[in-house]
Amino acid sequence: MKKNIITDYLPIWGAILAAIIAMFIGQVIPSFWLRIFTGLFMWIGLAISWNIVGGYTGYVNFGHGAFFGIGAYVAGVIILGGHMPFSIAMVVPAFIAAVVGLIIGYPTLRLRGAYFAIATWAFLEGTRQLALVLDITGGAYGMTLPPLLDEDYFFRYMLFLSLISFIGTYLLLEKSVFGYQLKAIRENELAARSLGINASLTRTLAFSLSCFIVALFGGVYGYWLTYIHPDNILSPLITDQMIVMTLLGGMGTIFGPVVGAVVLYTFNRLLWIYFTEGVYYYMLLGALICFTVVFLPDGIVGFLSRVFKKPDLPDDKILNIRGNLARWRDKLKI
Amino acid sequence: MDLFLQTLLSGILIGGIYIMISIGFSLCFGVMHVIDFSVGEWIMLGGFIGVFMVGWLGADPLLLLPVVFVIFFIVGYLLQPAIQKAMSGKMAQNPALMGLVFTFGVHVFLQGMALTVWGFDRVSLSSSFVGGSVNLGFAAASSMRMLVFVIGISITITFLLLLAKTKIGLRVRATAQDREVASILGVDVKGISKLIYAVYAGVTGLAGVLIGSIFSIYAEMGMQYTTFAFFTVVLAGMGYLPGVLVGGLFLGVLQSMVGVYIGGRYIFLVVFLVLYLVLVITPQGILGKGWKAH
Repeated sequence: MKKNIITDYLPIWGAILAAIIAMFIGQVIPSFWLRIFTGLFMWIGLAISWNIVGGYTGYVNFGHGAFFGIGAYVAGVIILGGHMPFSIAMVVPAFIAAVVGLIIGYPTLRLRGAYFAIATWAFLEGTRQLALVLDITGGAYGMTLPPLLDEDYFFRYMLFLSLISFIGTYLLLEKSVFGYQLKAIRENELAARSLGINASLTRTLAFSLSCFIVALFGGVYGYWLTYIHPDNILSPLITDQMIVMTLLGGMGTIFGPVVGAVVLYTFNRLLWIYFTEGVYYYMLLGALICFTVVFLPDGIVGFLSRVFKKPDLPDDKILNIRGNLARWRDKLKI
Repeated sequence: MDLFLQTLLSGILIGGIYIMISIGFSLCFGVMHVIDFSVGEWIMLGGFIGVFMVGWLGADPLLLLPVVFVIFFIVGYLLQPAIQKAMSGKMAQNPALMGLVFTFGVHVFLQGMALTVWGFDRVSLSSSFVGGSVNLGFAAASSMRMLVFVIGISITITFLLLLAKTKIGLRVRATAQDREVASILGVDVKGISKLIYAVYAGVTGLAGVLIGSIFSIYAEMGMQYTTFAFFTVVLAGMGYLPGVLVGGLFLGVLQSMVGVYIGGRYIFLVVFLVLYLVLVITPQGILGKGWKAH
């Protein structure tokens, strides 16, 4: 097959184009909107990183926020203690989180399904409790960082990071052997292993990669917020939102987390602008999760591709057979 | 030595509560194969509904226990088909995970609802029947806690007896073992699942009233009790009911020992650490009788 650099990598060109447009928009809008856009890019990145494990390996990680927090705390410690330039203070936490991800991921990924979910969730809560009692994290007082009052700087940083995350995950998960291996393991682990794929190593690497990305964003977010506290940085709400975004957009697709993040974040900010922040947001979020799971389990992207795709692919046939079987079983009441 | 005995006793008594909130949860996992993330929210709602009804009817919380059970039984009975729908959807690739994410959504929803309706305030219940404390010679215990322990243990034993001795218990066990085979043999699997979820919601809501009469009730308490239920059930071995007795008592004693000998703020750190380590080292629980994950 002939390779074409334009059509083969269309999503990358699209993302770069979108980033350039966003760059220009960023020059003209007031700082209120600049902050909102900065947040948007962050959430796109967070959803992308969650999707690597949640979507491509099928392991629902309820503790991903722990690595976001690790990123923020490590960056905070470096900035406060080392007088290091910000760009270094940003990359170090990501590598530390990636190593922690390897150490935590290897034993945890041996668990399956619900066991994995509970273990990761316990890990997040444990990290939060640890941050509350340690001295280096400031305990229950948190950490206050010197403010950097340059909104434009954070805007460009988040934009750049989310663009890199998107391109990186696209190349790794959709265009490389690594991605095919992950998908093979997700679909049928036994078959994949019989073909010589080291399932647990591949999964652990994916886990570590997603920790790397999420910690990058954690570091920048901590510095942007200037106040790092277990209640905001390690709040379960952060992980909740990553899950909802990916689920809403479509798990295991490259555009899913981006679409989900844009939809949910826009919704969130509109509520915030018109009705101010409130606890009712949890209610809406919960209802949205339930609704998505029941009515739109393959997300917006999956739904659209089902609508626009030509039928009669082998996959669909298998699904049809399964659906028919289920229907007959219901009819026969067995 | 006195301090040690006192700590041990209060740990065991608290363990009774954990047994009570975990027994239905474990049974629900055994039958539906879904981890209910919203277990703590049923407790929280149970507590709040108890407070509301005490204020409204002026009755003693202990007298309201059957009413609360019935309310939550109905809620659970109505909610279960939605969970089932989430798990059996045509597009759902991984049914157990879809069920998990759905109950996670229920948890977020109920917590948000409670925060919206009741805010961040703490309330508590008190019963006029039981008060004071009992001296057992080696240690003293509040009589309310003793009563809650007794209720928790009796409900658990009743559950186990019903499962072991009755026809319907046999059907439940068959469903838990193999849904398909049970349905071929004429067991109404859907009905059994609904019934079990309803009973589970009922018992858990009822536990909320009892917890409210010992500790306080607030909208964010759910997460904490979800943790305790997870802990108990993981230690017991998921789906293995008698293990819940061991897991619950272990958690109670662990918690009160850490609180007394190490410090109150380390309780949760130790709890999560032990939970994580048990999961990683022996996922089938400390007795090794739990189910393998699907």
